[in-house]
Amino acid sequence: MNSSLVVDNLCDQAGGKEVAIVGLYCDFLAQEEQSTTNMLGAMLKQLVGRGGVPVHIREAFRKAKKEFGGRGLRLPDMVEILKKTVTLVPRVFICIDALDEPTPKHRRELLESLREIVRVSPNTRVFLTGRPHIDGEIGRSFTEVVKIPVSPTYADIKSYLEMRLDGDTDPNAMDDELRADIMRIIPEKISEM
Amino acid sequence: MSSQHQQITGNINSFNFNNIVNFITEIDAEGHQILQWLSPLEPQQRHQSVRTDRLDGVGNWVLETTEFTKWRDAKDGSVVPVLFCYGNPGVGKTYVR
Repeated sequence: MNSSLVVDNLCDQAGGKEVAIVGLYCDFLAQEEQSTTNMLGAMLKQLVGRGGVPVHIREAFRKAKKEFGGRGLRLPDMVEILKKTVTLVPRVFICIDALDEPTPKHRRELLESLREIVRVSPNTRVFLTGRPHIDGEIGRSFTEVVKIPVSPTYADIKSYLEMRLDGDTDPNAMDDELRADIMRIIPEKISEM
Repeated sequence: MSSQHQQITGNINSFNFNNIVNFITEIDAEGHQILQWLSPLEPQQRHQSVRTDRLDGVGNWVLETTEFTKWRDAKDGSVVPVLFCYGNPGVGKTYVR
């Protein structure tokens, strides 16, 4: 699921000098601003943010300034620069939240760009969240995808509740009847949502 | 200590300070321009706000799945690199419920 939790977990568990963690939050309301180029650029910003701007990006910037009056990168150039930058970091995690929210065109471009990045840097890890219907689109860019359903099933809710009740720090406040009610009513209510 | 001396010290300090600042801003100015040029988006700010809103302990189960830990911990190309968490709106994909 999610991205913010995953980003924090990665920072804690996998973080370090050799690791870069990139997070992107797609927003339906920002479709225009969140062009593919801008989104890939936002990933680049995070990659270079800590260690300073690598020479190849600096050169591309100077060239754009001199020859095109500082015009922004076009998508193919952005993809190339991003690919090159990712190879400079031993491990890169890219977390993209709500991938169903960009336009289909942007989503396709984004997925294709990710595919290119993973192809040249197989050590890259990509974490995506989104509604189920984009599964097919992801499948067109990646033949293999590990999927985790977030929508809780009845059984998921029950096992989660059991885990929480077993870990209760104040078991005296609990009795069998209350526990049975919790186990019956909460999963029913959530499943109805 | 005379006020004159303090003034001189102050001047020296500000002189040095300005020099250093100018030097750093010169390097940083281009770096800053480059970051702006790369993208107007500021995803780190968004992460901060999502993180602040999040309920603690909610959604941790995903982080404990073998799918996730394998994906996170394998340091070579031996695992499937793409993990897709899917669900319908409101189930907390952003916050991982």
